[in-house]
Amino acid sequence: MSITDSDGAELPASHQRALILVVERNPVVQRLERYFLEQAGYTVEFAADGKNALERARELRPRIVVTEIMVPALDGLSLCRLLKSDPLTAHARILIFSHLHAEDRAREVGADAFLLKPISEEILINTVERLIASPSRNPSVEETRND
Amino acid sequence: MIERIATGCVGLDEILNGGIPANTITVIMGAPGTGKTIVAEEIAFRNATEKKPALYLTTLSEPLEKFIFHGQRYSFFDPQKVGKSVIFEDLGMMVRKAGVEKLAEVVADLITKYKPAFLFIDSFKGLNELLQTSVERRTVIFDMATLLTAYECTTFLIGEYAEAMTTDLPEFAIADVVLNLMKHSTNVREQRFLRVEKLRGSSSIPGMHAFSITNDGIEMYPRLLSPSVAPTYQPKVERVNSGIIGLDEMIDRGFWRGSTTLVAGPSGSGKTIMALSFMKEGALRGEPGIYVGFQENPSQTARIMQNLGWNANELLGSGNFELMYRSPVEMQLDSVAAEIFQRVRGGKAKRVVIDAIGDLERCSMERQRFADFMYALTQWFAVENITCMMTAEVRELFEVRHISDEQISNMSDNLVLLGFTTGQEMKRTIRIIKTRGSTHDNRQHLLEINDKGAVVKKLA
Repeated sequence: MSITDSDGAELPASHQRALILVVERNPVVQRLERYFLEQAGYTVEFAADGKNALERARELRPRIVVTEIMVPALDGLSLCRLLKSDPLTAHARILIFSHLHAEDRAREVGADAFLLKPISEEILINTVERLIASPSRNPSVEETRND
Repeated sequence: MIERIATGCVGLDEILNGGIPANTITVIMGAPGTGKTIVAEEIAFRNATEKKPALYLTTLSEPLEKFIFHGQRYSFFDPQKVGKSVIFEDLGMMVRKAGVEKLAEVVADLITKYKPAFLFIDSFKGLNELLQTSVERRTVIFDMATLLTAYECTTFLIGEYAEAMTTDLPEFAIADVVLNLMKHSTNVREQRFLRVEKLRGSSSIPGMHAFSITNDGIEMYPRLLSPSVAPTYQPKVERVNSGIIGLDEMIDRGFWRGSTTLVAGPSGSGKTIMALSFMKEGALRGEPGIYVGFQENPSQTARIMQNLGWNANELLGSGNFELMYRSPVEMQLDSVAAEIFQRVRGGKAKRVVIDAIGDLERCSMERQRFADFMYALTQWFAVENITCMMTAEVRELFEVRHISDEQISNMSDNLVLLGFTTGQEMKRTIRIIKTRGSTHDNRQHLLEINDKGAVVKKLA
């Protein structure tokens, strides 16, 4: 059985219902991110802080973790390092998505991609699609800037 | 490098050092009738495309239909764009249903629906007033700020805010840019001004900038600034013929190119004729000039030229003798400078006449502002190597005690005083008071007006 998006179009097999865990503390911003990612055919779960994200990632085994750097309890960069070093979560592709210009720091902690906020739907979805489609777990970070 | 959005409003981008920084929040504030909505709608219509739409949310100040009805009076309001690249929605009604505390969620849903590159909320203050307590207000505005900062969108919050509110209301804390529109009434005159109260991370031209509202929208005139440091340029070592027969030999073969000459004298002493002669000389020598006049309209000026026996049609049609007439009624100081600059740059003018500076002074709200303006203008002429002649009326017919504002005469390179002889027959007189960087004949001579224009007749 094929899986289709809300308009009835068939989704690529590579990311049918792929689960994305988004670490974002603000409910209004969560609302935007949920909408854009679900419209693109993904299943979205949220964690409001870094510690909760670590627990949820171990439990849910998401294909992608999208995290702000500035989140409570455990910052996004530390979260990335822990996820990459844990066999339960090391498979997850990690997108650091922040207002902070921290491409180099994202690379150092093993992030797979970095995006600078504010949110551009097109760039966010393109980046997520690239991460889903990319089979390797090459730690060299992709850098994408909205400007 | 900050990405900037060119507003499309004439002059505003120059004031803002290139435009509004992209993905920021701008508050457009001002009393009713100052032009806030026109500025906002012009930015929306001039920037929106189907790929980068503008979402214009009306609230509780005016019904949506009024925005559409009044907006269509302006040429920028393209009805074809409405519903495609410029989307109007009634946020007021949505908020009334959902509750104003859900404002950010309602706006988030509209963002996901329309994906705007530009977002306008008009009036945002109207929504703010629905919030009962300052805690409620701060919470909702914080949520809005978080939302609008997270999403790639340039936002404009419009409201009838008074200046006293800028320290109390939270929207001014979250704003990256604050544009304050105001009206000033002096006697029966009314002038509009814009001031940039805040432009985070960037500089702007400080002070109050005059603007007018035309059928094409907003036209702003960036305030002419005095240079903070002396401009460096290479002055031309070249003399310019004055066109007044006999005058050049009194001032060492003519004025320096790029100098400013103030011709002061009482009514009827020949100031305008001297200025026209100066322009005619330039036109005949192939040096384009602009004659900025405030009292005589172009037909009256042409008649003066005809009365002198000049071929006014030929001169005015030569392309070297441009008349720029502005009625002194409702005139704005910086709009004159803006038009002079535009014409000078467009026509490569070498000479400019301003007849008379008293008309400019009367449209200035402050004496010091006028002096600063004139200083900046004469500095600009010097740097551009434009030779300028300005006229100024003095009150006394015979014994002149006071020549214009002394600051203006000080900033002129050359000062020529016209007058009359006393006695049975009143004859025109001319005397050079000052020539900067030149020697001059400082004796009083007669000035005749004949078919050659103004002619100096030396007294023995």
